[in-house]
Amino acid sequence: MTALKRLPGVLGTLVVISLLTFAVFYLLPADPAQLSCGRPCTPDRLAQASAFMGYDKPWFQQYLDFLGGIVTGRHFGAGRAAVDCAAPCFGWSFRLNAPVTRLLLDRAPVTFSIAGGAALLWLVIGVGAGVLAAVRRGTAIDRSAMLLSTVGVSAPSYLVGLLGILLFGFTLDMVPVGGYIPLAESPVDWAWHLILPWTVLALLNAAVYARLTRGQMIEVLGEDYIRTARAKGLRERRVIGRHGLRNVLIPVVTVFGLDLGTLLGGAVITERVFSMQGLGALLIDAVGTVDLPVIVGVTLFSALLVIVANVLVDLVYSVLDPRVGKETTSR
Amino acid sequence: MRRTRGFTAVALSAMLLMAGCGANAADDSDDAGGAGKGGKLTVLSASTDINFDPAKSQNLAITTLGLVLRRLTTWDIQPGKTAQVVPDLATDTGTASDDGKTWTFTLKDGLKYADGTAITTADIKYGVERSFAAELSGGLGYHKGLLIGGDTYQGPYTGGDLASIETPDDKTIVFKLKAAYGDWPWIASMPAFTPVPKAKDDPKAYSQNPVASGPYQVSSYQQGTAVTLTRNPNWDAATDSVRTGGPDEVVFQLGQDATVAAQRLIADSGDDRDAFGAGFVPPAQLAQIEQNASAKQRLVTSDAGALSYLALNTRRGALKDVKVRQAIQYAVDKSAYQVATGGAAGGDLATTLITPGIPGRAEYDLYPAGESGDVAKAKQLLAEAGQTALSLTLLSENDQQSLAEAQAIQQGLQRAGITVTIKPADETTVTDTLTGDKPDFDIAVSSWQPDFPSANGNIQPLFATSEIGGGGYNISRYSNAEVDRLIEQALATTDPAAAQALWAQADKRILQDAPVVPLKYNKNSFLHGSNVQNFFVAAFPAYPNYLKVTLKNR
Amino acid sequence: MVVDIPPPELARHPLRQLASDRWAVAGGATIVVFLLIALAAPLLSGLEGHDPYTYDLDAVSDTGAPLGFGGGISVEHWFGVEPMTGRDLFAIVVHGARTSFLVGFAATALAVLIGVAVGLTAGYLGGWYDRLVSRFIDVLFGFPWLVFVIALGAIAPADLPKQLLIILVIGLFGWPGIARVVRGQTLALKQRTFVVAATALGAGPGHLLRHQYLPNLTSTIIVYSTMTIPGMIGAEAALSFLGVGVPPPTPAWGRTIGDAVGWVQTDPMFLVFPGTALFLITLAFNLFGDGLRDALDPRTRGLKR
Repeated sequence: MTALKRLPGVLGTLVVISLLTFAVFYLLPADPAQLSCGRPCTPDRLAQASAFMGYDKPWFQQYLDFLGGIVTGRHFGAGRAAVDCAAPCFGWSFRLNAPVTRLLLDRAPVTFSIAGGAALLWLVIGVGAGVLAAVRRGTAIDRSAMLLSTVGVSAPSYLVGLLGILLFGFTLDMVPVGGYIPLAESPVDWAWHLILPWTVLALLNAAVYARLTRGQMIEVLGEDYIRTARAKGLRERRVIGRHGLRNVLIPVVTVFGLDLGTLLGGAVITERVFSMQGLGALLIDAVGTVDLPVIVGVTLFSALLVIVANVLVDLVYSVLDPRVGKETTSR
Repeated sequence: MRRTRGFTAVALSAMLLMAGCGANAADDSDDAGGAGKGGKLTVLSASTDINFDPAKSQNLAITTLGLVLRRLTTWDIQPGKTAQVVPDLATDTGTASDDGKTWTFTLKDGLKYADGTAITTADIKYGVERSFAAELSGGLGYHKGLLIGGDTYQGPYTGGDLASIETPDDKTIVFKLKAAYGDWPWIASMPAFTPVPKAKDDPKAYSQNPVASGPYQVSSYQQGTAVTLTRNPNWDAATDSVRTGGPDEVVFQLGQDATVAAQRLIADSGDDRDAFGAGFVPPAQLAQIEQNASAKQRLVTSDAGALSYLALNTRRGALKDVKVRQAIQYAVDKSAYQVATGGAAGGDLATTLITPGIPGRAEYDLYPAGESGDVAKAKQLLAEAGQTALSLTLLSENDQQSLAEAQAIQQGLQRAGITVTIKPADETTVTDTLTGDKPDFDIAVSSWQPDFPSANGNIQPLFATSEIGGGGYNISRYSNAEVDRLIEQALATTDPAAAQALWAQADKRILQDAPVVPLKYNKNSFLHGSNVQNFFVAAFPAYPNYLKVTLKNR
Repeated sequence: MVVDIPPPELARHPLRQLASDRWAVAGGATIVVFLLIALAAPLLSGLEGHDPYTYDLDAVSDTGAPLGFGGGISVEHWFGVEPMTGRDLFAIVVHGARTSFLVGFAATALAVLIGVAVGLTAGYLGGWYDRLVSRFIDVLFGFPWLVFVIALGAIAPADLPKQLLIILVIGLFGWPGIARVVRGQTLALKQRTFVVAATALGAGPGHLLRHQYLPNLTSTIIVYSTMTIPGMIGAEAALSFLGVGVPPPTPAWGRTIGDAVGWVQTDPMFLVFPGTALFLITLAFNLFGDGLRDALDPRTRGLKR
């Protein structure tokens, strides 16, 4: 299994990333214990708080404790107030009083809801527009679709998002201006509150897919087997749908997989604009309060997303194109 | 530090705070006694977390925690009236022994938790004890240095119980202090003086699910998103003089961007009519509200209170020279600073350290330079000090508002030939650098609101030598033996008038050394929806009193 | 920050093709105009009589809102003034172009330099080195680099220019895209007859890379660089928007946009001018990059007719 063969590499990558994150944030001038010291803060109390959280140790020792915690779990403090972080323990946020693993699980649905809905929309719009432009290439439809997509690529998401909030949220009072409703609570409200971020993100991202699809489609339509299919008298719709689209989807899936892997980077800005408390917001918050365990946790999680996305892309390849053999993994 | 409230306990026998809060909206007058029960109140908050653990909280007595948790004493904050300490769970604000070292409180009858069990003094003792545990540090801990044995006590989880708190019976609690302390009743209003039943103490979960004693209990806690409070069936209004318990439900929407929250309240549609903002209205929205009659009616501005100032690190380079610091007093453009904070609505220009409304304040201006400063005078002083190309680093938080203020300072000093480099950093880093032991900055804009309306609260935490570094707020690193003596003398003076005179003397003496430039006495503005009533901001503390807010019956 | 484009190949008459593409020409012209504006910023604002730093509190009301029509637009202030400070918005916008170009070009240069070096060597050498590089690229793609910028901003000493730091950071995180493309192209070139021949003739790696591979990668690199610049400009603006970019008072479009968002209902022009500038320059680079790619890539060109 390719996934299994990759495991050592994946683990190595994660170790390097966590080490890097640890080192950088250890260098910050801010002392995380200071925040937990209370007021008035005496040096004795500061030392106690620091020792309890384990921040008094040298950074590599803290890092080793962190790695150990993943395997064996961790304990902080003693007696009844002891914090018990069961294995696999990815750290404990003393600021939020919760294990990092639970924080990630709590926040992930928000980020995935935003990204998932938007991704579906942009995939449909992007691929649709791209195919249409390719089939009708050189016409006004093609030119305007491509121009629109260039405009879409050029507009910063926060600017469009904020204008959307102002126009549709406040001036026209049509849609809610943020806030997340869990899917389980009310699927209708969930979707209704996400409609603005979905639309904004989809419109901006669809542009990339439209261009990609168009370029690929034009290339594919020039290939021999398409000509053969046409020569055989197959209907155009069938030629495009059956033979064209299938080959176009391969690069689209690649880009899509990578985009999903990187959704966390974009989430930082999106969630800020739409006042949603997902992983991006959690991360920014954690950076602002030097909540090291959370920072490391989210960073590792995002790296993991990329790796998973890559594996998924490989899997989809083999479905889309049976000819694809083992060498795709090294692509 | 903008949001930080300093507090220093001091013997202060009279509360002479100037009353008056004329800016409070007229719609408060339509409150008819007990009207306004029911409804769902929404609070829009920028923070992403509410910590309900009384040991870890620094909440004011009149905000979020006060809705759920009662303490021994609490604050009575009403529009146009002086802040007062009043009994909450206790029958009075405490009885002191003759030497002032022993304080005794008795609980009211019939007090119950949300689950119906009785509140006992043993629970209050336990609540105070657990605040000593390192596991639960982070709250307001003024009592820790005052109780006998408090310096070494490690909390109930590892250190047994604290002998200086006695509970002879379920209704009585006795505190034994190291020294006489007249303001212990104020200390007993701190979050740590909330009852915590030992059997229900789960330190890991308590911050999200505390045992409720106030009108509300936490019914749902969605991490980072929302907190919902519903009625506590066992809260008895007859035992509570400060909480109205109006709405049936209170929802905190967390992580709300200040601008978006203000826009929602200006728009005043749907559920937002039943909402108010927990944060200050940003200057841009103040300007917007100016042109919106409906929103203008719903804007509530406090009187000028907390001091904003420019701290000069007196231990750095050229700033060691008092002439240079005095030159900066003249160079600063206070008027530009005021506009950057919303103009007159943002506050009044400051010249003193003791803030308006504090008893004993003497108005003076040591460096008369007009609203925009006196550049010529500043240049002259710099020349006298031999400084021709002074270059300073201004440490600022990296949010829009702080950067706007930093730039107003920067351009002012620039006029006198002082080059200012702004170094933006996140809030934690800034606070840590300013109050910690590695003060790598030259100047910084800061503000200070004491939790306690006294001149002492204005002076001691910011200028006493003991408050330098280690988390203390003497960020100018100002140290003057003469001033330290004055502070000690004032602290020990029991006659209010005599103490006030000493504080006023210290005020002027400190500014002669120019460790800070007083910029502005802040006004805080808050906005609420059209269906919200009894929403007011008193002079102190300059935050809305959540406990009294009700909704109009629709 | 990463744009995925199909790899172009060398074309015969790219310039003529480019000149016949109206949108590309418009994009190119816009770039030139903005470049001139950036270079002549002090001259232009001097012509108007202002600089982007001096406060003018007489131009704003007591609440900080600009006085007069359209955010204070007048003969005196062509684009009006900034709320709360009264600084001249025209001066801020034209000086902001300098920041955008400086960061955009420098970060792109850095990213392209690293990307080409890494991609070329990975494709050429192959083996474990290639696998390591590919894995590293995968990870960099998903890395929340924004967080690092924020952290590094706090660590960096005050005397290190923040602009330099931002160039370094977005440059260092921006190279994987081009590295991936160059690597793919290099792998393809490896199979081509002229390369195989040169290798067989015993050419050393230095010679091969410089004289066989690089010349054949030029068009890819040019196109990719053009399409990376707007991404870098956008990244700088996003950072400034979040308050962790170029520190004030150095004008930056992203920061002004961030400031302007709150004012949009009272003073929309404060958002319109920097917002339009940022959008136009990004659009111009994208249009020009598109045209350039079409011109240099015979496949898309051939099909377009």
